[in-house]
Amino acid sequence: MKKFIQIVAVCFSVCLILAGCDNGSSSSTVESTGPQRDTVIIKLMAFTPDTLTVNKGDTVVWINQDIVAHDVSHFPDRAWHSDTLNPQNVFVKVIDDSSSYFCSIHPTMRATVLLKK
Amino acid sequence: MKRMRKSMNWLAVTVALILFVPAAKAQSQNPLSDPEIASVAVTANQIDVDYGQLALKKSHNADIRKFAETMISDHKNIIQQATALAQRLHVTPKTNAMTQSLLNGETATMKTLKAKSGTAFDKAYAQNEAAYHEAVVGAVKTKLIPETQNAELKGLLQSVVPLLEHHTMMAKELASKF
Ligand SMILES: [Cu+2]
Repeated sequence: MKKFIQIVAVCFSVCLILAGCDNGSSSSTVESTGPQRDTVIIKLMAFTPDTLTVNKGDTVVWINQDIVAHDVSHFPDRAWHSDTLNPQNVFVKVIDDSSSYFCSIHPTMRATVLLKK
Repeated sequence: MKRMRKSMNWLAVTVALILFVPAAKAQSQNPLSDPEIASVAVTANQIDVDYGQLALKKSHNADIRKFAETMISDHKNIIQQATALAQRLHVTPKTNAMTQSLLNGETATMKTLKAKSGTAFDKAYAQNEAAYHEAVVGAVKTKLIPETQNAELKGLLQSVVPLLEHHTMMAKELASKF
């Protein structure tokens, strides 16, 4: 049992470190003029942040950290969409336009990507 | 139409009674143990898988079939996680009065659903999904989570609440189309 807690603790800290690195790399490019990379976490049936503001040409990475499969689909017509994202799967897209999107598996899950003016 | 609505209300009330009355009674008398909670959790999920499989067998409506496929996939996923966690924690699911009342409710609802076909089935399935999920969310929040001793099991139940709430909203939206 003790060993198990240790394993969980180690996994958790690895996750934290990885998440930290990810933030670090994106925040280090804040001052640069090139395209940036933003992350949306899918967890507990929500896209977080539910409104993400990016520059045209930025890359957004969606990570499914939930316990069930989701997808990322342009609202309402699925003009663009990811494949089904099983837990831990990732979807990457370059953003050229503001857009509302949803999960077509759970259509009550909605969020937005906005272009900076 | 009026009779239909009446019968649907009756269905919702029955589902609520099956889940809540024993729950309320049991809560005041004896709280469930973790093995009993594991049994209730697995059973409640399996019942919705069963309803989904019936819908795939009976319905030709694309929206109903898509919803049923999501229910089967999501609830199977939760069963897997609950079973894996129970094994890891050496908790053996233990059948109890609440498991039994869930199963009795399933038998009654299955009988009602199987007797219907076409749009009448689709509507009854969607409305039962809304009522069933709402009742299960209530039971998870007010009984299962508070009575769970193990922190990980409690955590799993807590993480399932948003999923059940979205399923409820989806079912209500689906039902409104009929
Ligand atoms: Cu989803």
